[in-house]
Amino acid sequence: MTALLRLRLAGFLRTGRALAPVLAGLVALGVLYGGGRAQPGEAYGVSAVVLFPVLAWQTKVLLDVEPDVQRRLAQVLVGVPRERLAGLLAAGMAGLGTVAVALLFPWLVGGVTGPVEPGDRSVPVGLAVGVWAHLLAVPAAVPLGALASRASTGGAGYGVAVLALGGVGAVVLGLTGSVAPWLAPPVMATARAAADDLAAPTAALLTAWALAWSATAGAGYLWRRRHRP
Amino acid sequence: MRLENVWLRYHRRGPWVLRETQARIDPGEVVVVLGRNGAGKSTLLQVAAGVLRPSRGRVTDRPRHVGWVPERFPADQPFTVERYLSAIGRAAGLHPEAADRAVDHWISRLGLTGFRRVRLPELSKGTAQKVGLAQALLRPPGLLVLDEPWEGLDAATRDLVPAVVDEVRAAGGSVLVSDHRGEVARLPGARRWTVTDGTVTDGAPSTDTAMVVVEVAVPAARVAGAVARLRAGGHHILRVRPDATPAAEADPAAGGPG
Repeated sequence: MTALLRLRLAGFLRTGRALAPVLAGLVALGVLYGGGRAQPGEAYGVSAVVLFPVLAWQTKVLLDVEPDVQRRLAQVLVGVPRERLAGLLAAGMAGLGTVAVALLFPWLVGGVTGPVEPGDRSVPVGLAVGVWAHLLAVPAAVPLGALASRASTGGAGYGVAVLALGGVGAVVLGLTGSVAPWLAPPVMATARAAADDLAAPTAALLTAWALAWSATAGAGYLWRRRHRP
Repeated sequence: MRLENVWLRYHRRGPWVLRETQARIDPGEVVVVLGRNGAGKSTLLQVAAGVLRPSRGRVTDRPRHVGWVPERFPADQPFTVERYLSAIGRAAGLHPEAADRAVDHWISRLGLTGFRRVRLPELSKGTAQKVGLAQALLRPPGLLVLDEPWEGLDAATRDLVPAVVDEVRAAGGSVLVSDHRGEVARLPGARRWTVTDGTVTDGAPSTDTAMVVVEVAVPAARVAGAVARLRAGGHHILRVRPDATPAAEADPAAGGPG
């Protein structure tokens, strides 16, 4: 399965289509950090929200660049479960690469600052919170992108709709006072928690929420693929 | 491998593409799947290969290693022939050195040596089809599924297909081949499944006494000698006729404006 994962990553990176979501992510981060300096926890929390639809889009592109017949060949080669898993893992690895760029980006453009007042988080703690916030966005975005992929929807139009609904829904349903926050991955709640004092139980709850949402969306993707090789 | 009461349709309310399919292929057997375009041959082959899941029924005893050669190889991929095949060999579970050896073997055997470092999208249809054939054979298959394997191949490689089929059969593997061009004569002894409107009929195998017709063009001046040599070789001469093609093209009345 590792070889198939590497083949898919290589196929994604060698096509020009990989550039579109990466550039969109960099532009969004540029706008985000162009507004002024912020402390790492707060800045990274918002960065994770901005990156969520970008990571989902990147996943869709990664899965869509592989021709349908090649995906079927891969299925014959390694079996159904491994073919599905290799796609999700390849997207997860590509997502981690984008997250690494997003974590580095504000330091290159001077978008973050150290503690200003007594009681502010230190830079290492803020960085750790930021890494956590981004790592929660990846497992939530990958199954959303997979659900929007051609293999799941069967057509480009439906894929864009799934992507748009998922991206907008994560923000709208994640607003304070939302009637159904559990329907969306906790990217907004994570951003709020990262900006405030983050207690361990809150972090554990948000992590469990993100993983449960990811597992549910991932199961939905596998269900959609039952009769779509 | 057995297909037990297999039904398949692509959409919940769509028409059935395969119905009540009962079929069996044993190790060492070759089966040619016949039928007109759109009859369901490719669908049947994809069910056998494990690409498509039956809507009803089941496929049992499918060999662990399956090689599938699709009707059209997906050449729109950003890899060279060598890099692609090497990655496929590794994905198939071969050790890197074994994968490289298998890649070298099939690249050489299928006449792909000159295309080793050519990117897949730059290949002609026939050459891409050879890559499709190679990827299915890197790991010796217990079941080889060939969807119209002669399509787009040059004469030399078309002749190689029966040899490859024989090798898989000799190693105890099964081979399933679809054919709508009448190339079945290249596989004497193969059983026949005929697909008609989604139903599969298991036919009798062709025997070694089955006859085929080979058309041979010889210079008119040497026709008597050629006929004599063929008869001496035990071949049955059906008829001798003039080569109509050049005559038709040369006839100004045939295609000229009226």
